[in-house]
Amino acid sequence: MSAAPAVVAEGLSKVFHPPAGLGEMLRGRFFGTPLEALSHVSFQVAAGEIVCVMGPNGAGKSTLVRILGGLLLPSSGTARVAGTDVATGGSAFRRRVAFVVGDERSFHFRVSGRTNLHYFAALHGLPADEARRRAAALLDRVGLGEAADRRYREYSRGMRQRLALARGLLADPEVLLLDEPTLGLDPRGARDMRAFLRDEVIRKSHRTAIVCSNDPSEARALADRVLFLEGGKLHATAPPDRIEQELGL
Amino acid sequence: MSPLAYFARVMWAFIRREMAAVGGYRAAFFIRVLGVVVAVGSMVFLARFVGAAVNPHLATYGGNYLGFMVLGLLAAEFQQVGVSGLASRIRTSQMMGTLEAEIATPAPPWMVLGAPPMYEFGVAALRSAAYLVGATLVLGLDLGHANWLSVVLAVPLVIAAFSGLGLLAAGTTMLVRRLNPVAMVIGSLSFFLSGVLYPVSVLPGWLRAVGALLPLTHALAVLRGALLVGSGPVALAHSFMALLVFAGVLAPVGFGVFAFALRRARIDGSLSHY
Repeated sequence: MSAAPAVVAEGLSKVFHPPAGLGEMLRGRFFGTPLEALSHVSFQVAAGEIVCVMGPNGAGKSTLVRILGGLLLPSSGTARVAGTDVATGGSAFRRRVAFVVGDERSFHFRVSGRTNLHYFAALHGLPADEARRRAAALLDRVGLGEAADRRYREYSRGMRQRLALARGLLADPEVLLLDEPTLGLDPRGARDMRAFLRDEVIRKSHRTAIVCSNDPSEARALADRVLFLEGGKLHATAPPDRIEQELGL
Repeated sequence: MSPLAYFARVMWAFIRREMAAVGGYRAAFFIRVLGVVVAVGSMVFLARFVGAAVNPHLATYGGNYLGFMVLGLLAAEFQQVGVSGLASRIRTSQMMGTLEAEIATPAPPWMVLGAPPMYEFGVAALRSAAYLVGATLVLGLDLGHANWLSVVLAVPLVIAAFSGLGLLAAGTTMLVRRLNPVAMVIGSLSFFLSGVLYPVSVLPGWLRAVGALLPLTHALAVLRGALLVGSGPVALAHSFMALLVFAGVLAPVGFGVFAFALRRARIDGSLSHY
């Protein structure tokens, strides 16, 4: 493990200002009650480390990884991932950092997994030949080789999660940000996915990974260290064997 | 790799994806073909019905109502594609959840969001060409006197003006998170005041003045003048100048509003929801 941190977050805060309802607008307010999703969160992740972010629903986990992925701008504070400021990082940043969202709506339902990957490969700037090769290799690697030409809408939840992972690996990123990678998988599928993620995707390629999860077994299986968020604040940092104590289970 | 080559890759992959998806939309495809048949039937009916009466307002266009109407409908469709294409794609992508995943790739946002409207413009251009060929071969539309230089000069200006409106509409849609208010206002006003189905000369003066503030009015003046009467760029200078002003103002303003809306989406987290 290298000494240089792959992720540095300093005082990250995020306040959402939801649009006002009709009643509030009639009182001259354009925004509803502000919602503080993150409050002064600071931490570092070493290169090659796997950190799991845990916390109850609404703790700010997804907000945190979206900020680290450059998809959401913080209200205050700074974050650097793979040496780049997430608020200003452009194409080069998004090649080095992949945000793997488990949201199954994030693919085009009416085309195959392979066609979906080809399109995302083009968005990564890969030439058509290389896109085909890379997509085929990744589909095999995540176990979707035989189902590659089936329409995405016919995929099971586990297959959709694996396709999302394949998409995240298209650019061979240094840092992976995974938001609930085994959400909705059956126990065996989740176990296999975790083993694959840890051994094949992260360790073997010396990647750094931040994984959001609510599942203690996921954190134990994957993480070197666990960050506990609660109410948008960083409540504690602990090794995976202290999860139960920290979560009060 | 140059941005243009990068965009060409994205565009090609987008077209392939759309073509692959057509297989899943067989019913929609046939409904669209049926729509073309109904549209052509309506054109024939209107051209015979209206064209049978000698109308002095059509004298400027060589008295050719069929050509007048076909060009009016085609230009209105182009405007519809320009003004609604990007906004509706963004809305669909937000609702489907694909926008965030696409924005998370190294492709700049203008490439991610530029491919769908480019594709729509291409499809609209092919459809327009098919309508024109069909109207020429089947309905006897005469384009023998067309001034193609005027057409070639006008098309980029028209597309730039409509794209500017489209960016403005898309930015507004992202900001207000509602159906496209710009497209609704511009579309309705243009249909009645730009002379899509009747010459603007039938309108009272004050409505003509309002119509002159719409790019479609000038796009129609140029296209009809060039294709039906054979007018050159000098004869159409007034409308060309108006289109130039619309393109020069709407494109940067639309881009600015859209860039602002995209930044707002990164602040309020609405890339992933609508």
